[in-house]
Amino acid sequence: MTLEMYLLLSAVLFCLGLFGALAQRNLIAVLIGVELMMNAASLNFMAFNRFSVTDPSTGQVFVLIIIGLAAAEVAIFLSIILNLYRQRRTIDPESITELRY
Amino acid sequence: MDTTSLILATTFAPFVGFAVAMLFLHRSPRLAQAVVITGAAVALGSAVQLWLEGPVEPLRYLWFTSGAIELHFGFLLDGLNLMFGVVVALITLCVIVYSVGYMAQDPSKTRYFALLAFFEWAMLSFVYAVDLLQSFIFWELVGLASFFLIGFWYQKPSAAEAARKAFLMTRIGDVGLLIGVLVVMMTAGHFDIPGLLDPERGLVARVAPATLTAITLLIFVGIVGKSAQFPLHTWLPDAMEGPTPVSALLHSATMVAAGVFLMARLYPLFLAAETTRCIILVIATVTALLAATMAMVDRDIKKVLAYSSISQLGFMLMALAAGSLFAGVFHLITHAMFKALLFLCSGLFIHHFATNDLEQIGQAGGRRMKLTTIGLLVGGGALAGVPPLSGFFSKEEIFAALGHESGTVFTIAALAAAFLTAYYTFRMIFLIVLPARIEPAANSGGTDHGSAEPWTMVLPVAVLTVGAAVGGLWGHQIAAALNLQAPTHTLGSMLPALGVVVLGIALAWVDFGRGERVGFLSRLPALQTLFSNGWYIDTFYRAVFVRLTNWLASLLHGVEVKGLDGGFDQVGFGILRSADGSRSLQSGWVQFYGGCIVLVVGAIAVYVGMGG
Repeated sequence: MTLEMYLLLSAVLFCLGLFGALAQRNLIAVLIGVELMMNAASLNFMAFNRFSVTDPSTGQVFVLIIIGLAAAEVAIFLSIILNLYRQRRTIDPESITELRY
Repeated sequence: MDTTSLILATTFAPFVGFAVAMLFLHRSPRLAQAVVITGAAVALGSAVQLWLEGPVEPLRYLWFTSGAIELHFGFLLDGLNLMFGVVVALITLCVIVYSVGYMAQDPSKTRYFALLAFFEWAMLSFVYAVDLLQSFIFWELVGLASFFLIGFWYQKPSAAEAARKAFLMTRIGDVGLLIGVLVVMMTAGHFDIPGLLDPERGLVARVAPATLTAITLLIFVGIVGKSAQFPLHTWLPDAMEGPTPVSALLHSATMVAAGVFLMARLYPLFLAAETTRCIILVIATVTALLAATMAMVDRDIKKVLAYSSISQLGFMLMALAAGSLFAGVFHLITHAMFKALLFLCSGLFIHHFATNDLEQIGQAGGRRMKLTTIGLLVGGGALAGVPPLSGFFSKEEIFAALGHESGTVFTIAALAAAFLTAYYTFRMIFLIVLPARIEPAANSGGTDHGSAEPWTMVLPVAVLTVGAAVGGLWGHQIAAALNLQAPTHTLGSMLPALGVVVLGIALAWVDFGRGERVGFLSRLPALQTLFSNGWYIDTFYRAVFVRLTNWLASLLHGVEVKGLDGGFDQVGFGILRSADGSRSLQSGWVQFYGGCIVLVVGAIAVYVGMGG
């Protein structure tokens, strides 16, 4: 396994997540896409840590922070979605466009 | 009291009256009236006392220093100033007392009396000024005061316009005067009047004749504006829109007199500038004749008097230009008396009959107002130059001066003007005293104005009647005050002047004393029209200068509205429109925003990657 392989995997993962975040018509799917992109970033950190940095803890710190952040984000995101659904009976991002001119 | 407190009392008593009345007495016009009259009386008393004490050294107080220039405020107390100060204070007091009756019904009496006091303060301070710049400042304040008073009934559009016209036309002259004062500053380095007039160290000894001519000409431009000489005379007839007592003041001792007084004050400069005196002589002669012709045809009593003022001011300047300080100042003082008298009389007629028209006043029974008629006869006689009255003596001096110093053309012109003066004055008198028919005395007697001749109005008329009658006897005192010798005249030298007066009165009698009361001019309709339209000078100004100014103003207005305003509006609207277009980018759709962010970040990454 070389560094390039890891980066390639990570890029694929990121693109899948990006597609999910931008193109899905369901906010839960968008959330999943965002999570995928975060994991792609985490994978990148670990790969660079493995191949080019002597101190193994540097990358791991970042990854742990990202995992914690993602957990918090999921909690907030889901509660927002829940409230949105209660109020408007829909979680389609294209129909929630009140914050405009 | 010493001189300092006397002069301060003279100049500041009216100012105190003005300030107290204007600031505190808006609700109590009677008290304001009393305060202003007291101020004027104090001013007169101390002016007389100063005059009796005689000339003293000038008083100077340093105002400020700028580099080598020292500006003083102070009081010049020589014969000319002291004498003229008394005349100003006396006539102003008469006018103020008269106004108590004349303005009794006016709702804004306080403002009126306060402004009269302001006028008196400005004029007295101008008369006593020791410093040329100080003179200029008060000269302008005199103009400002007359602006306020001419436009006193500012609700009337004609009065507001007359005030504006008076202010603007005198302003044209004042620009010249200001430049003249500045040239004096540049050449002499100071403004001190006695210093400038000093024969050894003054302007005459120090500057080139050409510069002196320029200075005197520039000062004369100011005099032309202030003393209503041709071609800037058209504001004075319009100034009749003010209350009649104001006209009396404006035409006699203040405002128009300021111009002649300034020339008398700076007389040594003018005496040394031969060219300037020639120009002044020509302009003054033209003015005297021109204004006399206009006075021959007007039916408005105040307009006739206004034109006669212009003409008489021309006489004064002719005398001064011909080299006789005495004749000019003498006529200035006698004219102040009899012209104030005539205006106050006309005010009584206007007040009682509520019309300015000569024939209507005559037919309504003007001559039944006995005291007023006596005043009119004495004042008119003095104006025409009927022998024992004051105007005869001062005019005689003018003819003598012209005969001595300048060519026969000017003497003949002056005699012609005197002839016209006698004619139009007695036209006015005959139309009032000997009308074709008189309406029977309405025994109502009480119009809503109350008594026809209230004592506050009669008393000043009586005082001025005496002044106008005997003023001619003061010639020697006036000459002595000016350190001059009054010339003596023989009966023979007086004959031409007497002759033209008699001729003028006779012609007026033939035209207006009997028969159908039409002037010989009505047989010359072209001249009649020319004269009654004031030689179309005003029409010309309106057609050329006023229209030119209006055209320029509307042009600039167009540039402003279309160019500047339009340009800025376009910039503003452009921003607004572009904002309108771009706001549709803000769709509220989160995923669209996310896509934009990805695109931009991607573009930056590509750019950095290629650059690195």
